[in-house]
Amino acid sequence: MTRAILLPVGRDWYALPPVALQEVVAGPVVTDVPTAPATVRGLFNVRGQIVPLLDTGALLGLEPTAACPFAVVVQTAHGPAGLAVTGMPEPAELAWLVGPTRARGTVGAYAAGERVAVMLDPLALMAQLHPPGGR
Amino acid sequence: MEVTGQEARFRAMFAEEAEGRLATLGELLLELERNGEDQELLSSVFREAHTLKGAAAVVGLADVLRVAHAMEEVLEGLRRGDPATPAAVDALLGAVDGMREMVPAVLAGEDRTGHADRLVAALHDPTPALEPPPDPEPAPGPPPGPASAPAPGPAQPAPRRERRETVRLRVERLDELVRLVGEASAAALRVGRVVTDQLGVEPAGVPELHDLSRILESLQERTLQARMVPFGTIAEPLRRTARDLARSLGKAVELELRGQETELDRGVLEQVADPMLHLVRNAIDHGIELPEARLAAGKPRYGTVRVHAAQLGSEVVVTVADDGQGIDLARVRQQAGEAGDALDGVGDDEAIYAIFRSGLSTAATVSEVSGRGVGLDVVRASLASVRGRVEVHSEPGTGSEFRLSVPITLAVLPCLLVEAAGRRFGVPMHSVVSAEAAGWSEDHVEGQVVIRVRDTILPVSDLAATLGVTAGQGGAPASDSPAVVVASMTRRHAFRVDALLGQRNVVVKDLGRLLPRLALLAGASLEPDGSILLVLDVSGLVDRARSGGAGRPAPSPTPAVPAPAGPASVLVVDDTAVVRELERSILEEAGYRALAALADTPADLVVTDVEMPNCDGLELTRAIRGQPALTGLPVVVATSRFSDADRRLAMDAGADAYLVKGDLDRRTLLEVVGRLLGRAVQPAGGAGR
Repeated sequence: MTRAILLPVGRDWYALPPVALQEVVAGPVVTDVPTAPATVRGLFNVRGQIVPLLDTGALLGLEPTAACPFAVVVQTAHGPAGLAVTGMPEPAELAWLVGPTRARGTVGAYAAGERVAVMLDPLALMAQLHPPGGR
Repeated sequence: MEVTGQEARFRAMFAEEAEGRLATLGELLLELERNGEDQELLSSVFREAHTLKGAAAVVGLADVLRVAHAMEEVLEGLRRGDPATPAAVDALLGAVDGMREMVPAVLAGEDRTGHADRLVAALHDPTPALEPPPDPEPAPGPPPGPASAPAPGPAQPAPRRERRETVRLRVERLDELVRLVGEASAAALRVGRVVTDQLGVEPAGVPELHDLSRILESLQERTLQARMVPFGTIAEPLRRTARDLARSLGKAVELELRGQETELDRGVLEQVADPMLHLVRNAIDHGIELPEARLAAGKPRYGTVRVHAAQLGSEVVVTVADDGQGIDLARVRQQAGEAGDALDGVGDDEAIYAIFRSGLSTAATVSEVSGRGVGLDVVRASLASVRGRVEVHSEPGTGSEFRLSVPITLAVLPCLLVEAAGRRFGVPMHSVVSAEAAGWSEDHVEGQVVIRVRDTILPVSDLAATLGVTAGQGGAPASDSPAVVVASMTRRHAFRVDALLGQRNVVVKDLGRLLPRLALLAGASLEPDGSILLVLDVSGLVDRARSGGAGRPAPSPTPAVPAPAGPASVLVVDDTAVVRELERSILEEAGYRALAALADTPADLVVTDVEMPNCDGLELTRAIRGQPALTGLPVVVATSRFSDADRRLAMDAGADAYLVKGDLDRRTLLEVVGRLLGRAVQPAGGAGR
């Protein structure tokens, strides 16, 4: 059993290792960034620090996340970043690997109680901000 | 010897640099003793000694120069295969120790000729172990007490001459301090807002808050001052350049420097130094006439190049003016036309800015006398990197004047706050030419909307539409809105906004490396209410408006500076992580993609070191040239080897360019890479400058 934080994104659940999580911000006030790619929803203020809020769906190559009542702040090599999620994250135990996943930045689907959650690799996910040839 | 204030500053800089270099040399020599055949290590030691020698020569410390030169000779022998015997390393270390003692002494005016002689002799004949130098030149000061008594044994430490009154500090640490003080000030403003919201009391009415605000203000001012250096710091290289160049060209030139006490941020000054040198070289090389020509034209025999610095508000303005022949505008127009950017219909005042285009400026400025060929396009780019700008005026037969404006500091950015589509944006004040109140006149010229600002017609765009934050006001007249006229180095453009909100200093934070580069944003700032203010990048904004991006098409009345067509990929090959990282960051900042391997993405150009383990750069170059598919791939060799023989070897291997790392800087690398990638065309002739 592996502990994880489950993140609701639309109808899907994603999982993060607890160590990657810095904090959860409810109702982030987002400043849009003109000309930013679809993966960047904007900037928000986390305790006096300007942090980019990323669209989790767009980063995964899926539909952009519709609403963002919560932001999950994770640490990256280049400072904190927010992942937009559609509901309150919750802790869970991941039981077993139920299958591989194809989306970029994911490492497999796991059983988590009644749910199936896709485990995220935050570093690989953030790499989607700089796709090859598209600086 | 009488030392002027300016020389004293320069010598103090040398003392600081020498201390660091000697410390590095000591460490490297100890390593050399263990790895005597390590050529890279030898090169590093050699480079340090060479650099120290050069610096000593610049400040006129002949004794230090002699010792450093003798070190070079010993190191050259080691590079040729002489064994790095303990005696040789002893002699080298002895020289380092000796110079550590000698530098402050000779800077204090003491004669250390004898000391230098002994060190040089020991280096030339390292067989006997180097004896600690006796102290024939007794240092002034109190008689030695127990604490300063010589230690027994052969290694006598250099006596401390005086208490240190300075601390060397990495600029990054100061930057962090400046940033934290800025954040503390912003946090104090937020506290004030909470006090107002929750207690209904104005912060100014709370003595504790008032004190905190005052102290933070003072702290911010002092912290910013710690980064300041006088403009005169670069006076010596300017004088030296002017003197040497005038002599080599047979011209009679006086360099007039004023405002040397004007202070500005050290980082800004470093960025301005090379452009200044280049403009002075240009003024002498292309502007000032030969003495006979000047006399024939009724001018004084001596030409004058004036470099004046002065503080103007939050900016330092440096003027480089000469009384030479001026810029030949007809040639500028001709060159621009040949390069495909005809300046027909463009007034002289604007056409002259074509000299800043890479295609024009490169050929006009790269010459034997202008050294490494930093073009006027790079002058402009260097200024842009510190949010500066350049203006130029020239009168045929009378002379030229370049006016450089740079912010005193980059830590706090004065901004004009504007509102567009219901949102606030900061426009850096250094880019703001004027703010036009509602009621300005809007016209249509050749299908584009223009605004008349005094005697000038400028294209006008809607800011919100350009940013893509709203549909904007289309082509409908909107003279009831205010407008902001901005300048992006060489072009001016007006933007309609909903409201002008005033001017404020903001602590700008860049958006970090996590996000992809966003061309329209210079950074963001946290407002006292916790909201985020976006600070616009005016160059990106004007480019977008003129290319019709996101808003309405606004064809440019002047051809735009040619921009790179998409990011080119550059493979960086170097076994030294620092050099690799330096080259990578330089290239990526300039919009290139730096690759670590050729596996996935083909490279458009390769930058390689020579001395590397496993496969050296020359083998790599030959291998590339041996592949039919890669024969056209440009290869730049960047190495610390600087002999003509090494250069020939690299060129014979098939390299397209050869850079010496000791001289490697951002401009040189980008100029060479840009040229090889066809992003800086070299026309056949000059354009007067």
